[in-house]
Amino acid sequence: MSSGAVTANDNTLSDPRHRAPLVAGKQDYASITETVCRIAERDKTPRAWYVAFAVSASLTGMLFLLIGYLFITGVGVWGNNSPVFWGWPIVNFVFWVGIGHAGTLISAILFLFRQQWRTSINRFAEAMTIFAVCCAGIFPGIHIGRIWCVYWLAPYPNQMEMWPNFRSPLLWDVFAVSTYATVSALFWYLGMIPDLATLRDRATNPWRRLAYGTFALGWRGSARQWHRYERAYLLLAALATPLVLSVHSVVSFDFAVSQVPGWHTTIFPPYFVAGAIFSGFAMVVTLMVPARAFFGLKELVTLRHLENMNKIILATSCIVGYAYATEFFIAWYSGSQYELFAFLNRALGPYKWAYWTMVFCNVVVPHLFWFKKCRTTPWIMMIVAILVNVGMWFERFVIIVTSLSRDFLPSSWGAFVPTPIDVAMFVGSFGLFFTLFLLFCRYLPMVAMAEVKAAVSHGIEGHGH
Amino acid sequence: MPSIADHQPTNRPWRSLAELADAPEFRAFMEAEFPAKADPEGVSRRRWLQLMGASLALAGSVGCRWEKEEILPFAERPEGRVPGTPERYATAMDLSGSAIGLLVTVYDGRPVKVEGNPNHPQSLGATDALAQAAILNLYDPDRSRQVLQREATTRGTVAKWEQFDTFAKAHFDELRGKEGKGLAVLAEADSSPTAARLRDQLLQALPEAAWYEYEPLSRDNERAGAVAALGKPYRTHIHVDQAKVIVSFDADLFGDHPTALRNARQYSSGRDPAGEMNRLYVVESCYSITGAAADHRVPVRAGQVGRFAAAVEAAIAGASADIDESWQKYVDAIADDLKRHGPHGLLVAGPRQPAEVHAAVHRINAKLGSVGTTVTYTEEPDSERSGHFEAIQELAQRMAAGEIETVVVLGGNPVYDAPCDLGFAEAFAKAPTRIHLSLDDNETSQASTWHLPRAHFLEAWGDARSHDGTYSIVQPMIEPLWDGRSKIELLASLIGSESSAYDLVRETARQLAGADDFEACWQVALHDGVLANSQWPTVAPNIAEAAEAVVPETDDAEEFDVVFVRDASVYDGRFANCGWLQELPDPMSRLTWDNAALIGPSAAERLGVKSDQVIAVTVDGRTVELPVFIMPGQADRTIGIALGYGRTAAGYVGGSLQNKVAPVGVDAYAIRPSASPWFAPATVAVTGKTSRLATTQDHHAIDTIALKGIARRLGELVRETTQTELHEHPEVIAHALHLPGGVEEEQLKSLWTEHSYDGRRWGMSIDMNKCIGCGACVVACQAENNIPVVGKERVLKGREMHWLRIDRYFRGDPENPSVSHQPVACQQCENAPCEQVCPVAATVHSKEGLNDMVYNRCVGTRYCGNNCPYKVRRFNYFYYHFDLDKPGGEVAKMAFNPEVTVRTRGVMEKCTYCVQRIQAGKIAAKNEGREVRDGEIRSACQQACPAQAIEFGDLSDQESKVAAAHQSNRAYGMLAELNVKPRTKYLARVRNPHPSPDDQNHEQRSRHG
Repeated sequence: MSSGAVTANDNTLSDPRHRAPLVAGKQDYASITETVCRIAERDKTPRAWYVAFAVSASLTGMLFLLIGYLFITGVGVWGNNSPVFWGWPIVNFVFWVGIGHAGTLISAILFLFRQQWRTSINRFAEAMTIFAVCCAGIFPGIHIGRIWCVYWLAPYPNQMEMWPNFRSPLLWDVFAVSTYATVSALFWYLGMIPDLATLRDRATNPWRRLAYGTFALGWRGSARQWHRYERAYLLLAALATPLVLSVHSVVSFDFAVSQVPGWHTTIFPPYFVAGAIFSGFAMVVTLMVPARAFFGLKELVTLRHLENMNKIILATSCIVGYAYATEFFIAWYSGSQYELFAFLNRALGPYKWAYWTMVFCNVVVPHLFWFKKCRTTPWIMMIVAILVNVGMWFERFVIIVTSLSRDFLPSSWGAFVPTPIDVAMFVGSFGLFFTLFLLFCRYLPMVAMAEVKAAVSHGIEGHGH
Repeated sequence: MPSIADHQPTNRPWRSLAELADAPEFRAFMEAEFPAKADPEGVSRRRWLQLMGASLALAGSVGCRWEKEEILPFAERPEGRVPGTPERYATAMDLSGSAIGLLVTVYDGRPVKVEGNPNHPQSLGATDALAQAAILNLYDPDRSRQVLQREATTRGTVAKWEQFDTFAKAHFDELRGKEGKGLAVLAEADSSPTAARLRDQLLQALPEAAWYEYEPLSRDNERAGAVAALGKPYRTHIHVDQAKVIVSFDADLFGDHPTALRNARQYSSGRDPAGEMNRLYVVESCYSITGAAADHRVPVRAGQVGRFAAAVEAAIAGASADIDESWQKYVDAIADDLKRHGPHGLLVAGPRQPAEVHAAVHRINAKLGSVGTTVTYTEEPDSERSGHFEAIQELAQRMAAGEIETVVVLGGNPVYDAPCDLGFAEAFAKAPTRIHLSLDDNETSQASTWHLPRAHFLEAWGDARSHDGTYSIVQPMIEPLWDGRSKIELLASLIGSESSAYDLVRETARQLAGADDFEACWQVALHDGVLANSQWPTVAPNIAEAAEAVVPETDDAEEFDVVFVRDASVYDGRFANCGWLQELPDPMSRLTWDNAALIGPSAAERLGVKSDQVIAVTVDGRTVELPVFIMPGQADRTIGIALGYGRTAAGYVGGSLQNKVAPVGVDAYAIRPSASPWFAPATVAVTGKTSRLATTQDHHAIDTIALKGIARRLGELVRETTQTELHEHPEVIAHALHLPGGVEEEQLKSLWTEHSYDGRRWGMSIDMNKCIGCGACVVACQAENNIPVVGKERVLKGREMHWLRIDRYFRGDPENPSVSHQPVACQQCENAPCEQVCPVAATVHSKEGLNDMVYNRCVGTRYCGNNCPYKVRRFNYFYYHFDLDKPGGEVAKMAFNPEVTVRTRGVMEKCTYCVQRIQAGKIAAKNEGREVRDGEIRSACQQACPAQAIEFGDLSDQESKVAAAHQSNRAYGMLAELNVKPRTKYLARVRNPHPSPDDQNHEQRSRHG
């Protein structure tokens, strides 16, 4: 190992004598502002952005057309049947909700733990969270048989004099996801106010000034405002922290509280939360690697940031792998033949290809991150992260489809075959996600400038904190 | 809209309304054209409402598109008739010359449900699936609606009955001149004495005319067997209730026997494990429900059954026969049992078996002394007629020779279902005048010059006799929907009779009743559905001793036999356009919407085929291609193919080339030779094509892990034992399941406060010891609860909608497994898992313990379906009633039970224990100021069940039958270990195997362990 000399763009070395800088290069306040703002202020939008936007917007359009078709025709357009009453829509829902975990974790929990390295990536991750939750929110909404009655899930005073059934985990889910979406959006927006004000102040075009000015809510950067802001941010962080744990716990209750063998498992809440963080971080890495290269953010979002995230991916992968093993152990230990069969069937039954894809992607592949080379090489980590996302989608598929396809009575066993509509809607949800994401990259500050500024070494060389 | 002043009140029925419309206020109102402009001052609210009513009625009369409409209000309401209250009328349904008595529920003149007539000896209150489906057949929009005259066009030109009558009068006058020369009548088998009388009159008037009778599912082998053994074609009647040992040689006693319903009842009544149980041996080639009910089943190739019967005959006589090693133990056991039970032994041979087998059976029965106890004989009606296959052959030859100029086909569909080698269609086309009376414009109609729409049996007067001769009057429940005429009416018009069908039937009844007070007798017969003491008297024929047992020769040249099987759904093909029946899973294969080549696992292995792979089956140079379905328990070297599929002119459900609807399944008549219409040697070739079969249960083609999993759980889910074991260990059923940690079911803790009841608690019990798996309950449930038909594509997807399904499980050796049938509907769990997870509380518990489904609250999250361990919840993935909005839907709508909601798309549905019947029963009891009596409220499945396997009632009433059943030592709750507390309990099946045959399948069953 070389000595503590930190090169300009590699801050990944761990030398206890020196604290590695959180941003690379010679960054001062002005350069940070310039680096971040110029992306949003660029006069000419890059052609690549247009191409990407056209593709993703078309897919979004397809998604909404298909939703229209679904409204007219009925949920039979999917492959769902009896016994697999829930199919891809719910798989996609859990997948997207899981992805929507990294943002708030990075923002809230790491904030509370004073992990300063979060500052470069939190805006990005939070945006991703919100867009993922948007995608997630669509599926359970359109998934129900009578979509026009979806508001009956809400507890509102009505002429029927009926409350929803508070025993139903699905109802908890409605509360958990909507609360999470609200708090995440608020948190994201609140954190963005000082940066929006910066964009407003730098704007040369009156329309831009009006738009940014409106959303900056009159931010002037006074000490009092900063004080209020910091307090509010801290409070929201404290509020969001339990939500990170609760939302996926509640999502897991949809399964754990039911009695389907393979679902009825007490390990589900922690296992789901770990899986969600796992997939969320993987998605951040997947998006961050190309974005930091394309938008010239390599000095703000450094390899060290990516490496840290990869370490979290490795850690959560171990948790997830442990959970898989525990499920099998408990299935055997429970003495319930249905439980044992559900798990044997996962590993050896007709959907074993899905199970082993999941194990390979989620348990085997992330072990590459034990090697520093893999943790710090963008293309390797991108491949790993994509595989993790694939694996996590399959995890939900395995949990939902294989468990339902063979439950208690062999007479009712069935197979699930997705329809082209299933596939197209899933692809369309990616379209929606990327559409929103591209708009974010183009018009909003991708990095929390104000926070990064607080984390840089204030221009004084060699004085680590 | 024309001015009201122009409206001429000409239509008599509207008279009072027209007068009302002529009132000055009403004119003012109509001219204002808008109710808001009507002056409310001068009109009282009451008057205003009257006017509104009149305007609606007038709107109806103006917008009406019918040529003529007669609405005749009751001047006096018939006594006892309350609008909206169902009435029940007795009638009878004839199928191939044997009738079962029915009670038809009629709502405001609209028949909606068929039940069995408890007074009728062949029904005993039960029905089969085919009778249940009569309602859908009646309202089938594809039914023929008019007389069609065909020259060159295939669609035909629409004619009127008057045109036909004019033609027929001239034509038959001409024929009368020739004494009927050149006329042939081909009729389907029919038990109606009136029709027989008219036939005789016709033949009297036209002595040169020929009358042929043909049924593709003929039972003429029975007649031939009787001739061989008894000298005359006596009719055999079996009395299963008298039998302690029943041996069936390829006879499907509970499936296609004319007295199947009665047999099932009598069989199940002899299965009480507390008493002496009967024992059923079945020797058969294709797995039937009778085989599934058997204590011992021997798979034997169809052509070898005769050898088996001969071996049994020899064994009883103390001789031994040279037979297959594997048969010996069964032959010994059968002979042992029969010898021990003497007159309480019963042997039956099936209609597929040749006369020699029937003769052997008659001889053995006589030898045992069973004649008079388990077997009786009566004279056979029409004993002189020639056999069905000979008849159609002769007709085809004569037509081909040009001897026939006019052929009248009364019902049936010979162009489709005649044996393939007769060239029937070509011969038929040679007759210049071809007249076909038929419910639908089918294959034969399309080959005829005149197609005449037939009245459904629920639309016309008629009569019928059951297998034992009991006479029933067939009374119309509704005016003919499509101007059809019954067979009796057509025959009457052909012989120039002016009498109505009603008068003709009354005339027949008068002759049969012979009573002094005929009117009273008629009324009673009409009400009861049977004419008392009208069954045929028994006779005691002499049974010829055979010099030596005649063993029928079998053709062993080819590797495979094709066995032509009566289909449990479409029968001979006539019910092919009935969605309920097409979607009814076959009791054994669980196939819907298809027939297949059923072959055993080892034969399939030899051929190298799997289910869904298409094979070409060739008989006598004629080939059909159809997919394989591997059926465990099929006799080796046997291919079972159901007849009745591949219809090309059935309709939008069953297939219609004219309307570009592909046929359902494959037409097996295309390879059915007239010489051996039941089983024939065949060659098989693998084609390499595949065709997906829609089965509702996947059992064979699944992986090892699944097979192991099924084997492990089956002993808990579907518990079985033997009578000996039950006597030795009365707790064997309850102890079939051990919870981890030795916890008892009662100790399980509930997550929520459980429901408590101070009144009724509805419950059900299903006795699997009685259930024969026939499927009548499934169609009854479908008819009662307006359950949609979804079609083959959606069955393939796993979206069938049956609230009640019959699960079928195999156990043991795949070459001869035992089969268990288990009807599963909603178990109305006390701790219902569905109720806890529904976010909108659309499924909730009622005060009487029902798990109610609130359709208009359901938003369709389908969470309940996931959480239901029995998977009995069904989801409307689409709007399955869209066709009701189309033309023709008006008729289809009439089949719906008005007491039950028709569910829309996006809602979950499931069995309610027929809550509408519960409510009706409760209301009736309340109106009479009494408690509901046990047995008064019956669910649709219970009512239809021929074996009386289902009990329903109030569990809080300790005297109720269902409470007693729940107390039985055979009772268990399926998956009760989940603490869902199911309200339906199953009563384990108890088999009664002969102690000696070393049959491993029957040994391991639900062993305490």
